[in-house]
Amino acid sequence: MMTNVWEAVVLLLLPFLAPNAEGTQYSPPGKPALTRCRSPEKETFTCWWEPGSDGGLSTTYALYYRKENSETVYECPDYHTAGENSCFFNKNDTSIWVNYNITVVATNALGSSFSDPVDIDVVYIVKPNPPEELNVTIMEDKGWPYLRVSWKPPQKADTRSGWITLIYELRVKLEGEDDWEMHLAGQQKMFNIFSLRSGGSYHVQVRCKPDHGFWSEWSSADYIKVPDYFHREKSMWILITVFSTFIFLIFMCFLHMNSNSLKYYILPPIPGPKIKGFDKQLLKNGKSDEIFCALVVPDFPPTTSSKCENLMVEYLEVYVSEEQELILEESKELHNSLKCEGSTSDNDSGRGSCDSHTLLMDKCGEAKGDERQTDGEGHPMEMEAQMHQRDWKEGTLSSAYQDIVSPDMSSGRVKTWPSVFSPLHQCGSTSLNQMNSLAMAKQHCLSDNLSPPGSASSFLPQSGRSTTETHRPNYCEFYSSDKQLSSPKPQAQTHRKLQAHSDINISHKQAGLQSPALRPTEYVEVQRVNKEDMVLLQPVESGCVCGDGCPQVCQDYSKVKGLNSDNMLLLHRDVMEGEEVRSHCEKQETNGCITSHITPATQKPTDCIPTVTPIVQKEMGLAVSGYVDTAAMLTLPTH
Amino acid sequence: MMSGNFRSASVGWVVLVCLVPYRTLTSTDAAPICTNAQAGCHVLSLANLFDRVIQHSARMHGISNDLHSEFEQYFLPSKNQIGRVGRNCHTSTILTPNGKENAQRMAREELTEVILKLLVAWRDPLWHFHQNMAHHQHGFTTFSSDKALEMSDMVHELRKGVEKVAEKMQLLGMMSDSVSSQASSEALLPPDSAEWRLMKEYDLLYCFRRDSNKVQNYLKILQCRIVPEHGC
Repeated sequence: MMTNVWEAVVLLLLPFLAPNAEGTQYSPPGKPALTRCRSPEKETFTCWWEPGSDGGLSTTYALYYRKENSETVYECPDYHTAGENSCFFNKNDTSIWVNYNITVVATNALGSSFSDPVDIDVVYIVKPNPPEELNVTIMEDKGWPYLRVSWKPPQKADTRSGWITLIYELRVKLEGEDDWEMHLAGQQKMFNIFSLRSGGSYHVQVRCKPDHGFWSEWSSADYIKVPDYFHREKSMWILITVFSTFIFLIFMCFLHMNSNSLKYYILPPIPGPKIKGFDKQLLKNGKSDEIFCALVVPDFPPTTSSKCENLMVEYLEVYVSEEQELILEESKELHNSLKCEGSTSDNDSGRGSCDSHTLLMDKCGEAKGDERQTDGEGHPMEMEAQMHQRDWKEGTLSSAYQDIVSPDMSSGRVKTWPSVFSPLHQCGSTSLNQMNSLAMAKQHCLSDNLSPPGSASSFLPQSGRSTTETHRPNYCEFYSSDKQLSSPKPQAQTHRKLQAHSDINISHKQAGLQSPALRPTEYVEVQRVNKEDMVLLQPVESGCVCGDGCPQVCQDYSKVKGLNSDNMLLLHRDVMEGEEVRSHCEKQETNGCITSHITPATQKPTDCIPTVTPIVQKEMGLAVSGYVDTAAMLTLPTH
Repeated sequence: MMSGNFRSASVGWVVLVCLVPYRTLTSTDAAPICTNAQAGCHVLSLANLFDRVIQHSARMHGISNDLHSEFEQYFLPSKNQIGRVGRNCHTSTILTPNGKENAQRMAREELTEVILKLLVAWRDPLWHFHQNMAHHQHGFTTFSSDKALEMSDMVHELRKGVEKVAEKMQLLGMMSDSVSSQASSEALLPPDSAEWRLMKEYDLLYCFRRDSNKVQNYLKILQCRIVPEHGC
């Protein structure tokens, strides 16, 4: 009994206890899935599905579809044409522009399962076959080869009737490489490929696509080998290289031969300083005196013809100390040498605008007056005067202005030199301020030409220089106002007088004067007296170097004959004539024009006679020999 | 004798003078016919006309495709809705060939008429669609609204173009005059065409996308049938 029960239990449990190794769990089939549907020519189409698990039993698949707006369910007409797990719809079953609702059903003994439905419209699932009859040939275009690729549309796609419109694409690559070169060919069935590598082997493929659809697969490749045209290229490059090398060599030779001139053309030499008389050799030699003498320019400053009449001729007494005498002699020698050699420097170089002879002449109108530099440097002044004689219209005047640095500057001998430059007070009312401003404005002109005084202690040089500076504008301005003046000739006298006058004035103002050592050390020589009672002064020179037109050179010193009641210095000549020269006070004629009286100690440069007289009178006392001692005058206040 | 000759001559002149204005009058009644050689008249060949019309239809279909894709992105209608029964394009009453053979079997006149019918049927719905988009936005960008407007315009232009092509074909004797002229194109509208108002925007776009594809395809078939040397 018991065994029977146990047997029955075992029997009952056997199916459950038995291992599942060889037995399968039968189940309904798994859910299939439609993978894709494709139409090659928009006339038929095929759908493929993926089966699910079959549940251990034989499973059958069925495809059902339903057309748009219709409840009729159709089954797939053809399961075999397209292969396994596919359904082929032939032309009769295919409708374009109609929505298909397709479902796949898997069925086995235990059940069935439906796939998810899929909606398709045939128009949008077209994937054509690849193009056919791909043909690649080599063509030549003016000696350069190119590939001509041609093909035909897939046979099934009907493009001739316009049912399908295909666009094509091809790709090219060299054998052995990995990168393809893509070309879109549009609707044409032929394409040209240029830029080929000579001797290369190319692979060409083509594919197509309808307007709205999928790209076809790539067609089978066509291979082509491009013939060698490398030698032609190479020979051309060789020719080009040789030619260019040849040209390059010629160019280098040309450069080498013309290197100097090219260098000057490209990098022109910087012009050196153009200071007239500036001599590098002298610099190297180290004799400063010589250098400064060399800078003496004979024809500067241009003579001013003063239109002021009634100029009194002024004589400046020049005091020369011993040492300065030596220097003076040296400088004279230099000047002599210079004179003989002639000026080698540029007339315009190194001068400021107001120093320029031409500029001054332009600015101040016609050259006027004859001017003599009282403190001559010797020959240069004379030379200058002579040179100017030619220039001037009247021809009777000679001007001797120097813009050179006096060699005496260094020794502090300057005074006379500044007086040379200190020209003229303006004709017309001049205020001190104006002068100063002008001085400031033109200071640079002067500084270029002046060398700083050697000794700062010597006030006079400074004052002289400052006077020069201040006077210089006056000088210029004087010229500008020249037009107002009637006669040119007296201007010179005026100028001369003014010059000395202003000299003295300013120097006195500055209260600089005092040291006797600062006395001017040069003699002034009256060259001659012209008809209009003008005294032509010229610097004294030991030697008798005389340029053209200087008849009375080296001869006479001017002697002050006396002072008349009109505060005029009467000079007379020892040698030639015993004329008396009268200098006139210009002041009466022109307003504000400085008289020719020498007024070393006047407060205002425009002051005329009154200030002059006493000084002159005093000077008269000193000038026993008839010479006017400017230094004495300058130092007057200290007495 | 002299007077008789003179009279006959004058009569001849008068007749001539009278005839000339008559001829000009008669000629001005009809629309000017431009031949290729006539100066001052820009003549478009039939092939040229077809090219233009087909390009136009291709562009129209492209825009409709874009709009439809946008709609799908925004609203993501479930797949089931697409194929649901009952969705009906308002142009489904127009009989259109659904296959190549059917289309090729159709006569030129028939095919042209089908094209025109389709284009006419879509004029109003597209206009209203654009209006809806402009006013309600519905999450559309202005870009979409511009496309809708362009689409609406294109339908109108394309219809005119196809009519011109038909005219030309009739002129050249390629087609009989049975194709309706511009005046009677309104008669092509189906009588109960108001059901498009019930369509939702997505369905409208779906339907129009399909119909524009049909128009493009039919025109291409016509072209390859009539002027085959041009890209067929």
